[in-house]
Amino acid sequence: MTALSGTATPARRGPLARLGAWLAQERVFRWIPFALVEGTFILVIIIPFLLTIYISFLRWRANRPFEQAYLSGLRNYEAVLSDPGFWAALGRTFYFAGFAVVFELVIGFVLAMLVHRVVRGRRIYITIFLIPMMVVPVVVGYNFSMIYIDHGPLNQLLLPLTTTLGIEPRIRWLSDPLAAQWAIILADVWQWTSLTFLIFLSGYSALPPQLINAARVMGASRWQIFWWVEFPLLKPAIVIAVVVRSMEALKLFDPVVLLTFGGPGTSTQTVAYYLWEQVWQFNKFAFGAAASMLLLILFSALIFTGIWLMMRERTRLERERVS
Amino acid sequence: MTPGAARSAAAAGSQRRRRAALRHAVLIGWGAIIMFPIYWMLQTSFKDSGEWVTWPPNWLPEDPTLKNYEQIFTFDVQQAGVAREATEQPFNIWGSLLDSLLICTISSLIALFMGTFLAYAISRFNVGGTTFRHMVLMIRMIPPIVIAIPLLMYYAIMVPFATETLLDSRISLFDTRTGVSMLYTTVTLPFVIWMMLSFIDEVPYTLEHAARLMGAGRIYTLRRIVLPLVASGMVVTFLFVFILSWGEFLLALTLTHPDVSTLPVLLNKFQSASEGRLYGPQAAIGTVITIPVVVMGILIQKHLVKGFSFGMMRR
Repeated sequence: MTALSGTATPARRGPLARLGAWLAQERVFRWIPFALVEGTFILVIIIPFLLTIYISFLRWRANRPFEQAYLSGLRNYEAVLSDPGFWAALGRTFYFAGFAVVFELVIGFVLAMLVHRVVRGRRIYITIFLIPMMVVPVVVGYNFSMIYIDHGPLNQLLLPLTTTLGIEPRIRWLSDPLAAQWAIILADVWQWTSLTFLIFLSGYSALPPQLINAARVMGASRWQIFWWVEFPLLKPAIVIAVVVRSMEALKLFDPVVLLTFGGPGTSTQTVAYYLWEQVWQFNKFAFGAAASMLLLILFSALIFTGIWLMMRERTRLERERVS
Repeated sequence: MTPGAARSAAAAGSQRRRRAALRHAVLIGWGAIIMFPIYWMLQTSFKDSGEWVTWPPNWLPEDPTLKNYEQIFTFDVQQAGVAREATEQPFNIWGSLLDSLLICTISSLIALFMGTFLAYAISRFNVGGTTFRHMVLMIRMIPPIVIAIPLLMYYAIMVPFATETLLDSRISLFDTRTGVSMLYTTVTLPFVIWMMLSFIDEVPYTLEHAARLMGAGRIYTLRRIVLPLVASGMVVTFLFVFILSWGEFLLALTLTHPDVSTLPVLLNKFQSASEGRLYGPQAAIGTVITIPVVVMGILIQKHLVKGFSFGMMRR
């Protein structure tokens, strides 16, 4: 009876309880988590970006106090756009990402196809193949820096090959420009093939077996089944793998620092490394701010395309799951 | 069965066997490629300084030693009696280990709770609509270098300036655990939201609806009905996000310098060859960093694909 009268007379309740009741209303309650997360984003991402836009219009280096900086219009943007180092680094980033992603997709696809058909030892294969993804990227860089030593194990393993081909057996993996570029691509392929493998494997295990059996009964060859049945059904997985991996590959930074420091010369500077060097070695803060704004615009276009592609495949996947 | 059919069946069988053998050979080959760098790190961590770089390289330590581990785990460098190069640098990993553990655990926990709560709201009330979900995705896809430069200026210039004028005390977020944790929370939130969304979508709404109709409060429903059903999903998400933060390098390198250093930053410190590379202790550090996350990763293996594809691939 007392409990009933308690709920019947809200005027008696304390302010805390009234606040609780107000918060529990659906129209309020649904926005609480949103406000929390959005607040974090504004505090940690949006405000710094506004600050960066402001700084990108300043004439300022970090070796002088911030108060002495003055507005200089679009000078920093001009400096970035007319800097050949920036464009070269950007081109190199796409070159690394392109080769790395192609290798990762092809190897990952073949591995997933093979593992999908394996009956015995499947679990072990999957567990081992997924390890590289979990290894800390810096440790991967360190491991490869060890393997790539001129007197290192990789050159020892390649010894039969190099002697038959008549190449200098001591390949300078990290001090020859071309070899250094491929050293970085190889390290990336080693680590991230596991991700494409994983995505394709989960695509394979979602394939409806009835369809493939039906095709087999109707006399389709292995190759026909693959090309006309499996491949179209795997398309969402392929799109997701391409988008996720390309976006990650364009961020390439860790192996560059660990393996080559952008060298020899500038031959392995990716855009992330280039900017990092400009800001942290040369203190060109305003320049860096302008460059990151330009990069943001450029990448936004790519990201929008990527998200659009993924969402299209997602709705397709959802439809398949329902039907 | 005619002899011809038997022969062709046997031929098909042997062909199938040959194909299976070939398949296993390719897969074992790739397995060897994967294990090679890891094996090299492991065995280097047991080598003494003379054996780090030799020609031909030793594939097994001739004289296995625990010196490297001793060196990174001692509390005091002089006391260990390893008077090798670069001993003037603090060498043990305790400080970094503590930093990494604190930063990763706290940021992942905060991200987990905020993200789960939001994922629940999105799943049940469609808060923010599709635009918001895509904006969240976008934050994840922006290259970290683009975030790093603004954040450096924000932490090192704006926050001290603002606190000095408003609160009369200079607070800097640069080179603090709080600053790094805040950032990690933000960059891992998108992963949490999308992963938890795919877990929460699988919980039927009718359950909560029934509880609400029977007079349960909102918080009570959340705690007693929804939470137990998504708890395993939350553990998976936590581990996933923890692995990501544990290995994060660029942002940590940028926003910390002398005081705070996470484990990847510590490992990188010995990579710049000013006193000669210290391959052995580095290998030991690498092993110590890697083992816990690989174990966690194997534990959540089934759900990894969900995390990396933002919940789009589900099995």
